Amino acid sequence: MRISITARLALLAVLLSLVTSLALAGLIWQQTHDDAIEALRRDTAQQTDAFAAVYRSGGVAALAQAIADAQADDDSLVAALVDRNGARRLGVGPDRLAFVPSAEAFRIATLGTAGSWAGQEAGIAIRPLGRDWLVSGRLLDDWERAQRTIERALLLAVLLSLVLGIGAGLVLTRYVTRRLDRIAGAVDAVAAGDLARRVGSEGGGGDAFDRLAQRIDGMLDRIDRLMAELRVVTDSIAHDLRSPIARLRARAEAAATASQPQQREIALAGLIAETDLVMRMLAVLLEISRSEAVTRDALVPLDPAALIEEIADLYAPVVEEAGLRFVTSAPDGPVAPLAMHRELLSQALANLIDNALRHAAAGSEIALSLALAPGEVRFSVADRGPGIPAADRAQALSRFGRLDSARSLPGAGLGLALVESVARLHGGSLELADNAPGLVATIVIPL
Amino acid sequence: MTRKILLVEDDAAAAGYVAKGLHEAGFAVETCGDGRDGLFLASEGIFDLVIADRMLPGLDGLAMLGALRAADIRTPVLVLSALGTVDDRVKGLHAGADDYLTKPFSFAELLARVEALLRRGDGATAAAQVTRLTVGDLEIDLLARSVARQGRAIPIGGREFNLLEFLARHAGQVVTRTMMLEKIWNYHFDPGSNVVDVHIGRLRRKLEEGFDAPILHTVRGAGYRLSLDA
Repeated sequence: MRISITARLALLAVLLSLVTSLALAGLIWQQTHDDAIEALRRDTAQQTDAFAAVYRSGGVAALAQAIADAQADDDSLVAALVDRNGARRLGVGPDRLAFVPSAEAFRIATLGTAGSWAGQEAGIAIRPLGRDWLVSGRLLDDWERAQRTIERALLLAVLLSLVLGIGAGLVLTRYVTRRLDRIAGAVDAVAAGDLARRVGSEGGGGDAFDRLAQRIDGMLDRIDRLMAELRVVTDSIAHDLRSPIARLRARAEAAATASQPQQREIALAGLIAETDLVMRMLAVLLEISRSEAVTRDALVPLDPAALIEEIADLYAPVVEEAGLRFVTSAPDGPVAPLAMHRELLSQALANLIDNALRHAAAGSEIALSLALAPGEVRFSVADRGPGIPAADRAQALSRFGRLDSARSLPGAGLGLALVESVARLHGGSLELADNAPGLVATIVIPL
Repeated sequence: MTRKILLVEDDAAAAGYVAKGLHEAGFAVETCGDGRDGLFLASEGIFDLVIADRMLPGLDGLAMLGALRAADIRTPVLVLSALGTVDDRVKGLHAGADDYLTKPFSFAELLARVEALLRRGDGATAAAQVTRLTVGDLEIDLLARSVARQGRAIPIGGREFNLLEFLARHAGQVVTRTMMLEKIWNYHFDPGSNVVDVHIGRLRRKLEEGFDAPILHTVRGAGYRLSLDA
């Protein structure tokens, strides 16, 4: 298919240049052409008929006489009887024709190669007479010669444009093919497994090919990032599931070998608790991939203040029970409805509060707030915990990205990844910032 | 009277596990493995409850449900599904399901929901007129939204009152944390920390402080039960 598209491109170039030059030549020809050559053709035919008739009725002698008569009042006359090699036997013409005679109704040609006949064009007809050939016609006058020159020039121009068109087509095709090959080569390489390969731009021209290349590179970057994330996820799932499953196994063994019913009871309860933890990790993972699969038309306009209120209603007692203060704030006036996924956004905020609960310093405060900024709505959860150093924030957002300092705390490490993916679903982002001290996590949703 | 439950589930292992559990809980269970047979059996109208997997060979769970409802068979249906997004759930409930449970689930969760559905079926006609709920020595006035135990008024308002009302409507039965999150807060995700436990803890303190007998019991591995008997 690629061959054919480049061939088509070349053909198109040839065709376009041909059409252009034909149109030009046609126009020039139209402007300069008159009937002079046409008249010459008619005269030549009549004259040839006349000489042939003379020959038939009177033979060679009569013909010679007739030519001599005619020559007297026309110095541009050409009329000769030549043998089959072109040598003149009688009449007016070069001693030897520049070409071998053959029957011709009309032709414009240079007849001789020597003397005044060289470089002189004549319009002639050639007709067999007995074993010889009658060459009869007239030398071209100035105007006719000029017109011949123009016509020849036009023909040459058309031929030249054909050649140039083919050349241009080839160059164009090679150029396009080369640019496309670069892109195709990179895509093939990636398809073959070399995920780091990129198209790159050529000389920074920023033309259409470069823009296409940039798009493809952008796409490849994203695929690469997703693949890397997926690899990390797979590794981390295996790694992070190992310990709860090992604990699960230990509890199961303990239950199986317990002699006291009470011990068995405790071991079984622990078994269920561990199973629940594993199930929750899987559920959150599923939740993340689902939130990434949710389309934007699943978003419904809702009151963001109500969303905050509901989640606060659920969490206020939990925060207070943990010995912390819970503060919520929202803009004073009514807030315009915002297209959102209530369930996922609530879950994202719940995750943020959950994180804050885990990390907040004893007796401090967790603040849930809704704020309107120009062009965006900001949902933030702020705590007074240790915060996350700026350098570690990116890692905190990745799936299973648990910071080493958090390894000792319970949790699947999926929370922030889910929050970020929910923010992305809403066309927004998750910002982590310093609460000096503590962390303030903000879901920013553009209006 | 033994309650009859039809279980339509093509995964034999899962079906066996659920059927065994339901049988031990005192139900008569009939199982079948595809939607067409399920529809045929359910159409007889002899079951008190149908538990149907959403993805079934022959006729999928929702289509089966649609056909049942079209035939004006009002048996409560609980749909089990591995498709757990809110949108899937909404689709299931729109098709006429009475409840929707996402796989994997704990058996306790399923049992609690089965009992709630059967109870609802019994009380469906009466529920509309109820204005007072009584659980042992606890009285709940639904119109005045007031609560009293042994004649002593207990200040309970807002969400907490809704929580108590929900527990009281299912008095004697196990109510799971997920059921409460779904019905009281309308959230279908697992908030992770012990949020429901905290709310229950507060409610329990109000209901039990100063009284001898516990009334809000924790059922380990399952949920909570409102009842005077232990």
